[in-house]
Amino acid sequence: MTQEAVVSGIDSGVVATRAGASPTWLASRRRAAWEAFSTLPWPSSLRDEDWRRTDIAKLDPLRFDPDAGVSTELDSVIAATHDDIAAVAPDAAVIVCDHTGRVQLHNCDALTAQGVIVCSLSEAATRHRELVEQAFDTLPAGQQPLTALWNSLWRDGCFVYVPPSVAANQPVWVIHAAADDRTATFPATCCVLDANASLTLVELHVSPATAQAELLSDTVSHVVLNRNARLDYCVLQDLGQGVWHMATHRVSLEADAHLHFFGATLGSKLQKAYWEALLNGNGAEAHLAGIALAGDRQHLDHQSLQAHKGTDTTSRLLLKTAVRDHARSVYDGLIDVGRTAQRTDAYVQNRNLILSPDAKADSIPRLEIRAHDVRCGHGAAAGPVDDEQRFYLMARGIPAEIADRIIVRGFFEDALGQAPCPEFAALLGPLLDRRLDRILHIGRQES
Amino acid sequence: MPDPAMLLDVAGLHATIDSKEILKGVDMRIPHGEIHALMGPNGSGKSTLAYALTGHPKYQITAGSATLKGTDLLPLTADLRAQLGVFLSFQHPTAIPGVTMVNFLRAAMRSQGKELSAREFLTRLTYEMAELKMDESFRSRYINDGFSGGEKKRAEILQMALLQPQLAILDEPDSGLDVDALRIVADGVRRAVEGSAGKMGVLLITHYNRILEYLRPDTVHIFSAGRVVASGGPSLAKEIEAMGYEGLLGEVAPVSASA
Ligand SMILES: Nc1ncnc2c1ncn2[C@@H]1O[C@H](COP(=O)(O)OP(=O)(O)OP(=O)(O)O)[C@@H](O)[C@H]1O
Ligand SMILES: [Mg+2]
Repeated sequence: MTQEAVVSGIDSGVVATRAGASPTWLASRRRAAWEAFSTLPWPSSLRDEDWRRTDIAKLDPLRFDPDAGVSTELDSVIAATHDDIAAVAPDAAVIVCDHTGRVQLHNCDALTAQGVIVCSLSEAATRHRELVEQAFDTLPAGQQPLTALWNSLWRDGCFVYVPPSVAANQPVWVIHAAADDRTATFPATCCVLDANASLTLVELHVSPATAQAELLSDTVSHVVLNRNARLDYCVLQDLGQGVWHMATHRVSLEADAHLHFFGATLGSKLQKAYWEALLNGNGAEAHLAGIALAGDRQHLDHQSLQAHKGTDTTSRLLLKTAVRDHARSVYDGLIDVGRTAQRTDAYVQNRNLILSPDAKADSIPRLEIRAHDVRCGHGAAAGPVDDEQRFYLMARGIPAEIADRIIVRGFFEDALGQAPCPEFAALLGPLLDRRLDRILHIGRQES
Repeated sequence: MPDPAMLLDVAGLHATIDSKEILKGVDMRIPHGEIHALMGPNGSGKSTLAYALTGHPKYQITAGSATLKGTDLLPLTADLRAQLGVFLSFQHPTAIPGVTMVNFLRAAMRSQGKELSAREFLTRLTYEMAELKMDESFRSRYINDGFSGGEKKRAEILQMALLQPQLAILDEPDSGLDVDALRIVADGVRRAVEGSAGKMGVLLITHYNRILEYLRPDTVHIFSAGRVVASGGPSLAKEIEAMGYEGLLGEVAPVSASA
């Protein structure tokens, strides 16, 4: 298409349009969030502790197009991702969301028959307002510029509610797809599990692999686990090389709720992702694990929060990252134990493999403990591939790059083993291998 | 001049680590199909020789030559030497967590152009593991991770059996083995030699005569301070056992450096 591009940016007019199409409660929330966004200073690596090592001064969100339309690139990335899911999880319910606000539901009948609600978030905002509000209330709309921007502008997304004591009989896979230069996309995931309910939720953030298209992806996932609910939750970030990805995945856990979270970060030019578990109820348990792989000039920032409020809560986090070329990983993880959170048992660990001299990984696991009867710890390590391990493999005839690939895969293995959904692991494995081949410059014929 | 009829021909080899010279003019020739034992005091440089021959990047070769069937090994990286048929059984095998033995072995065979179909491979692996009395669970264990000393040595011999090298450099494959394990390992080496139609050569580094009684080396070399100082028949090993290196090295005339 050679149509003269009149790309609109983000302004109050867009917010007004979004608010106009929303129910009243949501409209006022959008306006308040925009108000906050307009007054909040943009994150600064000089001023904000969170952003000290991740500089987004050059990112002007307002010049991206929040109303970008459908394109063949968008549809083909959706089709390819859908095929990938079908190959590993043919029985899954699939919700396809994209930057235009389209939401398509596939294969959700069995869930619906159980009383599970699966629908677009805009529909849920009207028909299941209390549930959506319950989820939205876990994250203040206007505290931080990126979540404020998301709250004012999200077009649509997915909503899943599992009623009390229902064990969802199908996993739910959500595709959040975006494409095209200067698109702003605001993926929305909202999930509420009622008491004693259980679900497997997989969230895939994808866009065409090209570095040519510069996109802004600003996403928020609100997840609420009510008493004794169980969620297995996997997130893949495999966005194109030109994407700025700003993400918040926040899970609130009530008493005795269990979360198994796994995040895999492979894509984007720059990402800042918050992985947050709020252990509000007594006896709640959150196990978080993840891997990240970066090459070229990718900058991947993960900031985790294990916030313990209830008594007798447990949390674990293990993030393994490998960086090569000029890539950089930043990890900042906080275990925050409130005064009331006696007998907290928490651990946070980040390990980094530095695959070339110009790659870099910063790791800052932190503890803030205000209760006295707790067991908490943290660990961090960074280093290159072990020479003796590489020599051992090479002494068996394995070339250096393939040896490195084997060692990196081995390095990731214990984290991968914690992915709670085997179908997700099956999807991730080959993807990871291909990405490793690219990052280690291994020709296809050798793989 | 290197002798292309010779499996391994090492002449005047000098090697340093961190600019400290460890190998000081090693001469050694191993014909096809022969088992040569290499004995010598701790720290004399035996493992260094093994590393220098297999291409460990930590060691700098400062002089001399090393050829396999006339091919110069020294310019080649470790993987290329292995692909030519040089195998090292490590004195202290490294653990690689997260990498299963079975995946590793397949990758190694593929790299050496010895890839088998999945079924053939498993049949082979099952057979060789049974010969070495290794439990099948080792397949899915991570490379050397948590292996006992003896298990590591067996796993090294397993790799040799699968890869069928031209030259096997075995660095103390017998240390830390119980008597039964020693026989199993020695049998594994003998089978590999016999299976190669008498072509595979072995450089067997050891401190003990016991494994030599099983394997009956053609030649025993004595190593001291970075060079071969004496070579002889199997009786040399017995003399070492009886007299120790100090007693022996005082008596045996060093071999001439230009052998
Ligand atoms: N990184 C290093 N820096 C300095 N010296 C080293 C280094 N690595 C090895 N050496 C020295 O090289 C010498 C030879 O070591 P090597 O391991 O080859 O001996 P060895 O004959 O195999 O001994 P052993 O019988 O105990 O296995 C030793 O004195 C050792 O301390
Ligand atoms: Mg040694």
